[in-house]
Amino acid sequence: MERRGEILNYITHRPGVTFRELARALGLGIGDLQYHLRVLEREGKVFSRKLGKRRYIFPAGFEGEYEKLVIAISTETRRRILLLLMEGPKSQSEIASALGISQPTVSYHMWELKKLGTVSDRREGKKVVYSLNYDPELIARIIRNYRPGIWETLADRLIDILTSLGDEND
Amino acid sequence: MRMIEILLTVIAMLLALTLAGVSFIAYRKSHLRAALYLLIAFLLFAIKKVIEALSISRGIEKDIGLLINSLEVLVLLLLILALWRR
Repeated sequence: MERRGEILNYITHRPGVTFRELARALGLGIGDLQYHLRVLEREGKVFSRKLGKRRYIFPAGFEGEYEKLVIAISTETRRRILLLLMEGPKSQSEIASALGISQPTVSYHMWELKKLGTVSDRREGKKVVYSLNYDPELIARIIRNYRPGIWETLADRLIDILTSLGDEND
Repeated sequence: MRMIEILLTVIAMLLALTLAGVSFIAYRKSHLRAALYLLIAFLLFAIKKVIEALSISRGIEKDIGLLINSLEVLVLLLLILALWRR
């Protein structure tokens, strides 16, 4: 029971932790952890979702945020943008030159990320500066463990090609 | 010779279906209209290849010229649309 409380506490403070990380951090055996997580899921205190090749565990009440985050990190370019923004606020041109992608592509992705509430923007003179709305640690944790399959990788590339074709947003 | 023709048609059809699959995942992830146009274009291309394969193997006796040309025009129009609008 005490062990389960410890697991719940860890998940609450580190949403998006993977099964392996959790087992390693708490020094628990796989069978033991599986049992406690099953109980916690049944009690509605945590939920888990498979994304790419990994399963992520979240505290209850995080469902809405999770859906948005999944869409936010669904393409390689967005993951690179988010990782870059973890270093601090950046303008559109800074993001484009740091990642070697066109400004229209950055503009499209920033518009999408803003719509999802993952980033926010503010005007600084002539520039619009973007910053993360999420805990950088949470984003780093999820992106670091995210392993898209071959189909998703190909789809990501197609999205990147299509978004760099023009400069109009939908 | 006919066997090689059918084989090449089947390969082209499979490649078109693969690209349609990739476009479908891309559309589901991004909701980009261009990805949707590509998905429809690749599906139409695959259908065109099925009709051609059936015609080569004498599964269809009718003249398919008009149908094939219409499908080709549609596919090209969808590709232009994908380039035109995101």
